[in-house]
Amino acid sequence: MVLLLAQEYAAVPSILTEYRCGICGRIFAGLPELEEHYAARHPEAAQPVVVALNLNGKPRELLVEPHWTLQRALQFSLGLTGTKHMCDRGVCGSCTVIMDGRAVLACTTLACECEGKTVQTVEGIAADPAWKPLIDAYCRWDAMQCGYCTPGFLVSAKALMDKNPNPTEDECRRALAGNICICGTYPRHAAAILEAALKMRKGA
Amino acid sequence: MADLAGVNGQREDFRVVGQRNVPGKLSYALATGVAKFGIDYVLPDMLHAKFLRSPYAHARVARVDTSAARAVPGVADILTWEDEDIRKLRSFGEMFGAQRPYLDNLADQEGAEVAVIVVAESEDICEEALRRLDIQWEILPHVVDLLEGRKPDAPVIRPQVRETPQFGIRSPDQLESPPKRGNVAYSNFDSGDIEAGFKAADHIIEYDLYTPAFASHMPNPSGSVAWWSDEPYFGEGKTLHIEGAVREKHSISFMYGMPPEKTVQEGLFMGGKYCDWGLRKSQNITPLLAKRTGRPVRCVNTREETYDFIMNQRYAYMKVGFTKNGLITAMDDFSVADGGVWGSSSFGNVGDQTQGPYNTLKCKNVRQFMEIVDSNRGMMYVSGQHCPFNWDIVTIAIHLIAEKLDMDPIDVARLNLHGPESQDDINPVHSFEACVETGRKMMNWDWHRAGARKLPDGRYHGASFRYQMCPRHSFATYHCKLELRQGVVHLPTQGPLFGVYSIECNAMVVAEELGLNYEDVCIDFDYRENFVTFGGGSDGTTASAWVAKECAHILKQRILEAAIEYAETAPPPGMGGGHGFGPPPPPPGPFKGLKPEDLDLAGGRVVLKADHSVGAPLTSAVPQNLFATYSGKPPLAVWVTGSMGKILDTMNTAYCEVAVDTETGEVEILRFGVAADPGKVLRPTSLESQIDQVMYFSQGCQLLEDFVYDPRTGVRLNTNMFDYKKPGMLDVPPVEKDFLETRAGNAVYGANGISHSLANTHMIIIAIHNAIGVWVDPPATPDKVLKALGKA
Ligand code: FES
Ligand code: FES
Repeated sequence: MVLLLAQEYAAVPSILTEYRCGICGRIFAGLPELEEHYAARHPEAAQPVVVALNLNGKPRELLVEPHWTLQRALQFSLGLTGTKHMCDRGVCGSCTVIMDGRAVLACTTLACECEGKTVQTVEGIAADPAWKPLIDAYCRWDAMQCGYCTPGFLVSAKALMDKNPNPTEDECRRALAGNICICGTYPRHAAAILEAALKMRKGA
Repeated sequence: MADLAGVNGQREDFRVVGQRNVPGKLSYALATGVAKFGIDYVLPDMLHAKFLRSPYAHARVARVDTSAARAVPGVADILTWEDEDIRKLRSFGEMFGAQRPYLDNLADQEGAEVAVIVVAESEDICEEALRRLDIQWEILPHVVDLLEGRKPDAPVIRPQVRETPQFGIRSPDQLESPPKRGNVAYSNFDSGDIEAGFKAADHIIEYDLYTPAFASHMPNPSGSVAWWSDEPYFGEGKTLHIEGAVREKHSISFMYGMPPEKTVQEGLFMGGKYCDWGLRKSQNITPLLAKRTGRPVRCVNTREETYDFIMNQRYAYMKVGFTKNGLITAMDDFSVADGGVWGSSSFGNVGDQTQGPYNTLKCKNVRQFMEIVDSNRGMMYVSGQHCPFNWDIVTIAIHLIAEKLDMDPIDVARLNLHGPESQDDINPVHSFEACVETGRKMMNWDWHRAGARKLPDGRYHGASFRYQMCPRHSFATYHCKLELRQGVVHLPTQGPLFGVYSIECNAMVVAEELGLNYEDVCIDFDYRENFVTFGGGSDGTTASAWVAKECAHILKQRILEAAIEYAETAPPPGMGGGHGFGPPPPPPGPFKGLKPEDLDLAGGRVVLKADHSVGAPLTSAVPQNLFATYSGKPPLAVWVTGSMGKILDTMNTAYCEVAVDTETGEVEILRFGVAADPGKVLRPTSLESQIDQVMYFSQGCQLLEDFVYDPRTGVRLNTNMFDYKKPGMLDVPPVEKDFLETRAGNAVYGANGISHSLANTHMIIIAIHNAIGVWVDPPATPDKVLKALGKA
């Protein structure tokens, strides 16, 4: 599964090759043409912008509208499904990504403010063999039921372990305090993280 | 009693069933974010759709002019309730409420889908178009306060044709309902002789009980994406693809007149829908919109649009008679329940009356009079995590009797619980006895009267106890199919449903019966398959697992017969595959001249029963393809044996300890305890998670969650996750658990389902009462605690 993800991921072109009008759906070969089209046809609409960032270790360009959140951009521009939308207002942590080394909420981060940033999503973590023990531990410990909140928890866990590779149970709970799970998985996350941390230390 | 009619129901040796830490088959997909829920689908050239939502609690769209909205650039289609395409639509999704038109011009709650649907290039454009609609609203009187709505002079909000909904088969105790009056329909039950019961009582206590509404709160906002294709793979003509309505492929194909084989739904992931399976409009409108526009259409609710009920608001007034040793002699239950908006499930009101806790008592003198008040509060689609909703009516009675007589509530419960077979059975329920013995030890149970114990930090200690039975589920017939293909056992299934590890438990049972490891059973997820593993509660759908066991037994027999047949007929070594094609056939097992009963399956091999070291791996002993099918269900499901609680086989008990700060009004749950008997534990980790989940649900509805309405406008004020707070990681207390395995259930190996039965509405409230001696209505927020103490 991890391999498959890495392959799927590589298939997404880094550089934009087409520019789609968000209002009428017409497709253009370049940004200037799209801008011209907006000026002529949709003069009152906010123009889309191109954001260049480093996503999961690779340079990416995204065409986004100025009010789009990063969550929306990842889903609608790249088809990534791991940055989930639950509350859409910074309460639940389902949309957590790691930006420049810090866990941030993609539903309250504007995509156009991510220019030049380094962003890691759950797909990037899953594609990195170094983090396989964490994913394995999540699966072994059933740190999920319906699984909708799980990628968000996993990204928060990874952000914790980046800073603190040897967390205590209490540190795990505090680091994940911003993630909401409806399905009652709370006690299982620390178990998974502690097991993964042990394995990763042994393997290092 | 266990596994009454099944094969190996009394099996003692378990290698696979009961194993911990076996990863779910789809866990990797979930953890890595690859799993797609309805909301996640993004297709090329996809359009978006939105319903007009009512800003009023009760209003009619008298007229709408869509011309300005149609002129918004990027709008692809607009439909109104008057369009023929909409008028023809009928939803067949799972609902327990009254039928109503798919979409009309009447909004009977704030946020209700009403009158108009817009399809556009983006959600933003949909919203812009909705803003440009020129709507003439006719604002109607509303009811969001049940106690106001039941008054004779309250404005009548619903046509009088709506009478008391019937739920399930009519009970002999059910009285003829009086005709509806104003907003109120009636549902009355009377059993035994209530007057005689009160006459026989030494004490009579009366109490009020309030249960707030509780949001179903699926983690993934409901929605779907649909498109139509001409793919020849699916045969001639259009094929409908619908994602995001998992488990509802058939109802949607029916809704759109499509043959099931031309309705494709490949997605597996449903999100945490704990018995709230009702189809939202966003899940079944997209096929129509995609057909009209010729493009894929996505329609997804916002979080604000997902605040439906899995528990209706209810007020109850109780009168209980009991003897001086604590035996209940009569219970008089009058309640006012929310009937919800038009089409709401009757599970939340009438449905409770026959499935309630009274059925577990020796006392048969019970009167239940219920007023069901039409309201504009909200919608309940099916049922929810709090079934039966009125369970804690009896939990409170037991607590109050204990308080009055200075008896341990566990002893009061024991005295009043009927025996395993019927309400006339006075024998002890073995499972209950085992649970309370374990629970007492686990909790160092030492009951005290209200307000009698202070903790060293000055807070008051309170404790509570409740029991329930683990219901015998199995609603319908299950159709299991197993295949042996090239030595590998395949278990095809339609899907994982709402995410609990149900199919895994079924696979574990198959592995157990076929002498395989769990990893060796290949689960084939395919939306065209029939086998669905629901029904039977948390521990992996014990009822479908019963069917899987029966099916595995048939396959086993076929494997053993085929191994002998192959041993007798296999070509001699050195001959190629059929006519020289393919690899040479594998060598058969040493089974010539034997009978199937001489053989067994163990460790992925066909072996001699008498000597497991002699045999051959499945791949070579049985190169044939073999199938087994079994359709059925375990006997004596609760729905067949009569109302839930009349038979008591496997039970569960729960305990709660709180600390209440009488200065700040803060309540801390020190711990929950669960001593439960699921009959047989199939997959411990998923059972534990399900129990944690219901305990946190229970915590939420008793300490945090409630719907807040503006009484003047009827508008709900807290439909977002800031203001409607769910418990988080740092809020939840430890849930200590101990599982017993009495094997007394009716499903696989004597297992029963469990999770719903632990969901409670008042266990924490009772513990608070035990701490401070006053009742606080849920949710017991600090301000309410202080108010109850007369301090605010
Ligand atoms: S969706 Fe971003 S925090 Fe909830
Ligand atoms: S596993 Fe369902 S929301 Fe967390």
